[in-house]
Amino acid sequence: MPTSSDRPVPAGTPDAQAAGQPMVAAPPGAPAAGPPQRPPAVLRLDDVAAGYGAAPIVSGVSISVGSGEVVSVIGPNGAGKSTLLKTVTGRLPVMAGTITFGDRDVTNMRGNRLARMGLGFVPQTRDVFDTLTVAENLEMGGYLLSKSQIAARVDTVLSVFPALAGMQSRTASKLSGGERKMLAMARVLMLEPSVLVLDEPTSNLSPDLSRSVLRDQVRRLADAGTAVLLVEQKAFEALGVSDWAYILVAGRVEIAGPAEDILARPDIREVFLGRSSNADEAAGG
Amino acid sequence: MNTLLPAIGFGLVTASILAVAGVGFTLQFGVTNILNLAYGDIMTAAAFVAYLVTSAGVSVWLALVAGAAFGGVFSVVLNRALYTPFVRHGTRLFGMIIVTISVSLIVQNGLQAIFGASFFSLNMPRPAPIHVAGMVFTTVQFAIIGIAVAAMLLVHLLLRYTKLGKAMRATASDPELARNCGIATDRVIDLAWALSGTLCGLAGVILVMNVTAFTDTTGSQFLIPVVAVAVLGGIGQPYGAMLGALIIGIASEVAAAVISPDYKNVVAFVILVIVLLARPQGILSEIATRKEVAA
Ligand SMILES: Nc1ncnc2c1ncn2[C@@H]1O[C@H](COP(=O)(O)OP(=O)(O)OP(=O)(O)O)[C@@H](O)[C@H]1O
Ligand SMILES: [Mg+2]
Repeated sequence: MPTSSDRPVPAGTPDAQAAGQPMVAAPPGAPAAGPPQRPPAVLRLDDVAAGYGAAPIVSGVSISVGSGEVVSVIGPNGAGKSTLLKTVTGRLPVMAGTITFGDRDVTNMRGNRLARMGLGFVPQTRDVFDTLTVAENLEMGGYLLSKSQIAARVDTVLSVFPALAGMQSRTASKLSGGERKMLAMARVLMLEPSVLVLDEPTSNLSPDLSRSVLRDQVRRLADAGTAVLLVEQKAFEALGVSDWAYILVAGRVEIAGPAEDILARPDIREVFLGRSSNADEAAGG
Repeated sequence: MNTLLPAIGFGLVTASILAVAGVGFTLQFGVTNILNLAYGDIMTAAAFVAYLVTSAGVSVWLALVAGAAFGGVFSVVLNRALYTPFVRHGTRLFGMIIVTISVSLIVQNGLQAIFGASFFSLNMPRPAPIHVAGMVFTTVQFAIIGIAVAAMLLVHLLLRYTKLGKAMRATASDPELARNCGIATDRVIDLAWALSGTLCGLAGVILVMNVTAFTDTTGSQFLIPVVAVAVLGGIGQPYGAMLGALIIGIASEVAAAVISPDYKNVVAFVILVIVLLARPQGILSEIATRKEVAA
């Protein structure tokens, strides 16, 4: 990696370590701002390593999400984003480090207990129960609720995704890719999670619906107090609704900082988001 | 016509036993992905429990309940004490099959050691014949059909209409996603073993109620058509197993009557092979075999 002074501070440099975390350097010529204000963390990972076999896929990862925040993790394919989210949601063992939820240590806690504490997850693949109907998927999303609460929540989430209302008795395996994603979102919203972990919730959705999911739902949920940890392939769209972002490369957080600052840095865009600023402007963000 | 109708009657009885056993077998596999080849021997063990109960002079209907309860409890304990530790230590599909075969041999030889290599029969009143639409059933056979229909109906209601049943199907579909929904999959898996084991025990007792004598290998011999029924229906699919049981049960009894009893199993397996050539996933399968074992 080039180390000219206008590059963001990469993880592992003395500066980054002094700051505790790799931070985005102020853009050249910009007025020096104070440290960015973040709400207290609801979900925090400290120096976490995890993977599938003996060798970790992600390591030394320290990230946090506060209530009311949308925090994006972006990075190239295979960087370990999904691996990280699977670790956070109790699907993969934590090999090193700790995960804290509220003020409780939840390192290596199982998914069902995390769900009880208010953690909701939409995985990247296998995001709905294939053999269950749409209505049954929603009911399982609200598994921890009472019967009357389930009915009320189903009405609410169906008003958010009206397209699902007409297909409640359809088996989930027979949904289109987009309908399936809608169901996955609707399912996770059943429990009104306090921490929402989303792995590419807009893949397969039309550009319009993607934007609406990110802006009208993800952003709005956060504004209502939910802590959202978001992984998105559409990095620019995601950063547009995020407060904070981490760039994950080869299993390590290379850069962390306010989403706007990362968006404002053409060099980061080129190096980490794989897209030049011109191309982005042409695409219209 | 003279042989066909009674054969269909026999077929219905065989299908009933196959359905109870097949649904229990496939349900448990669907939830845990462990191919429990000790299933037939647990059927036999339940039959011996019923044998002990009837030998003590208690009614065969209570023996049926005892056999079913034994199957349920034994299966839960077997999973907790043996299968789950193996899975936790990293034993996977084929390794687990070997473990279940070991259990099969242990149970079978244990029964032989306890009861001896001999023929046994349940102590119950001589059944009276009943004529229905050209078919002849004994009262016991009639009861077996009734028990199977009731059991299938209960399984259906449980899976479709109760939260627990839906959680069981959700766990079968994707245990990790189920946990992320707050479902305590450990308990659901216990319940799946209990339900499957109860059906296994029930099947073991009705199987030996329908024969004049049984041995320590009666259940394990019955396992092959049970697996055929489960595979025919699409492994992991309870409704598929019910349909598979009807097809294999009736076809094999009709073949036995029309051709020769020697062809009973031949016909069942010819059907299985032909169906699987056309639909490798089984009649009703929607579950791919991509899942890991869960315990
Ligand atoms: N189940 C698995 N077993 C073993 N290795 C895996 C498994 N899943 C992913 N990996 C490996 O871990 C690495 C990180 O994968 P991961 O799915 O976390 O990437 P990602 O950042 O989410 O990528 P994408 O943007 O393509 O979704 C990859 O090299 C991948 O091959
Ligand atoms: Mg991914």
